Amino acid sequence: MTINGIDLFDFLTAILATGLLRAVPLVLASLGDVFAQKAGLLNLGIEGMMLAGCFFGFYAAYHTESVPLGLLAGMAAGLALALLFAVLTVHLRVDQVLVGLAITIFAAGLTGYLFRDLFGGQNVSASVRPMTIRIPLLADIPIIGKALFDRQLLFYIAWLLVPIFAFVLNRTRFGLNVRAVGENPFAADAAGVNVIQVRYLAMSLAGIMAGFAGAFLAVADLKIFTIGMTVGQGFIALAITMIGGWSPWKIAFAAILFGMLNALGDSLQIIGVNVRTEFIGMFPYIGIMIAMIVLARRTSVPAALAVPYARGQR
Amino acid sequence: MNERARMSSISILPIVSSVLAIVMAFVIGGIFLEANGKDALHAYRILFERGLVNGDGLTETFKKMAPMLIVSAGLLIALRASVWNIGIDGQFMVGALLAGVAGAAVAGSVPNPLMWLIAAVAGIIGGMLWAVIPALLMVKFNLNEIITTLMMNYVAVNVCAWLVKGPFRDSSVVAPQTKQIPLADRLPFIPGTEVHIGLIVGLLCVVVVAILFRSTVYGFCLDVVGRNRKAAIHAGLPVGRLAGSALILCGAFAGLAGANDVLGIQGLFKANWDPGYGFTAFALVYLARLNSLLLIPFAFFFSFLLVGGDSMPRRADVPTYFVGMLEGLMLICFAVAVYLERRWHAISERIRGRPDDRIEPESSSGPSALEGLEISS
Repeated sequence: MTINGIDLFDFLTAILATGLLRAVPLVLASLGDVFAQKAGLLNLGIEGMMLAGCFFGFYAAYHTESVPLGLLAGMAAGLALALLFAVLTVHLRVDQVLVGLAITIFAAGLTGYLFRDLFGGQNVSASVRPMTIRIPLLADIPIIGKALFDRQLLFYIAWLLVPIFAFVLNRTRFGLNVRAVGENPFAADAAGVNVIQVRYLAMSLAGIMAGFAGAFLAVADLKIFTIGMTVGQGFIALAITMIGGWSPWKIAFAAILFGMLNALGDSLQIIGVNVRTEFIGMFPYIGIMIAMIVLARRTSVPAALAVPYARGQR
Repeated sequence: MNERARMSSISILPIVSSVLAIVMAFVIGGIFLEANGKDALHAYRILFERGLVNGDGLTETFKKMAPMLIVSAGLLIALRASVWNIGIDGQFMVGALLAGVAGAAVAGSVPNPLMWLIAAVAGIIGGMLWAVIPALLMVKFNLNEIITTLMMNYVAVNVCAWLVKGPFRDSSVVAPQTKQIPLADRLPFIPGTEVHIGLIVGLLCVVVVAILFRSTVYGFCLDVVGRNRKAAIHAGLPVGRLAGSALILCGAFAGLAGANDVLGIQGLFKANWDPGYGFTAFALVYLARLNSLLLIPFAFFFSFLLVGGDSMPRRADVPTYFVGMLEGLMLICFAVAVYLERRWHAISERIRGRPDDRIEPESSSGPSALEGLEISS
């Protein structure tokens, strides 16, 4: 099928394939951030954690030529920053927005510094080969086959995490505690939930996932690091968590939507339509704002989001 | 301790903790440099020499102070009202672009002072335009301004690049940029120096903001909204309109800063020119404890950091990004300092055995002003 000489099938395949790939970092970071936000933590450090995941993941993968080690390094970097965030906001009860921005500023400086210092600012790529799995028969389905069933292992893992996170959040003790802490920490405390511990765990999970998201981007997807390469994707993930109403399923849907918006420019180029990249580049950011306007009234925010908790102080 | 000594110790403490946070950040940064195999003392010497001692460097520092002062004066208004405008960068860029276009369009055909005025107004309009959108979204749809202002930054980067490569492009040069304002028509120097008069504009901005908060009803209302939004609603204040206006005013200042850099230094707007003052201004205003007059010394400090940092890669083999890292460390140390300060107050009150009933001086800031954060609902 062609319109104006453009093959619609090619376009659909391209936008589905790249869109789903671009959505992976968003969904990974958002899934972790659900737990942070549900536990009452507004993590503006997520951008920095993702960027740290990019750099340290890339650094490890570059030297070891191993994807798993790269991912582990990225997650560790995200976790380290998340613990810093938790100490300052949960323990010392300093304002979350201040601490989050501090961490993002710090991580942007740190990764820029290290990249310049260790790689001389040269664009080098890590020679890693992420394992790909082609699912027979299914991969031959037109349009969706190549986009869904002929991908690298991590791609499948990322999307499998959606039901797992939904299960943990909605059906396990830990998930229940997280939700209780975010709604009413005093009641949760009275019911015997260790508020501090739950917030630490939720934040750690968020940090690990943000680091994972960054490492996926830099190691498994692009195989390079560039300074400031996340260009707000961490913040987008944070917004997606809100837009998705703190539900992993809806978040996955929103992430795919914004992944496709991210991929729009590339997909148009693949089919030979030249649109100014600057023009298309602003779509995801405008999309986030529109989605927030449309959905703002329908979602209920965790009541204790961004509110520090101290026993006996209401 | 008598009453007077107690009051003075309270007003000094916030500054002390800011300074301590800065010192700690330098110490941690130094340890990091040493661990990374650099000569930290040498690097810091370069930083200070270039930014503070060296004549050219000092001139550069004073030049840099102009945008720092203007931007942070605006950010102070927003933060005092507990409005988190993280979109300074976008507002700055749009302001700079419009100022560049308007200034170059009328340069030569009107007297220079009028051209500067036109460019400044264009910059202010550009900055306001970029702040009006998140302000409306915040007031009408109750959307969290943190996210919207952040998103507007990325939109601005793309829109400005698109405009400067398209409609506003100066086709006589290869690089995508707006038409240049001739060197002779730029802002003049302050007599006896090589610093353009933008510095005076910056100082005026700070004075205006100081007067706004010290002696106007509007400033007082902003403070009430910032300190306790619920109380402000109960008192019948138009909270939405006040918060929105603080955001738009902040955008106006950011746009003016953009015009200042175009008229004083750049002479044009280039694609991808984003000095990224937003995060620096954030650190600056916080360390100045949301106190208007303290903005001046801290603006000087951060300008010197930026200027000194630029010479570190060449002369000390330390990438410029180190300064960004230091800023982050300062804010992290500042967060710890805020906590310690709170502990200090709690302990000293307990020793004295009476409730904390003092009136907060202007210089005190921090979480008390910031707990009213509300997310879209």
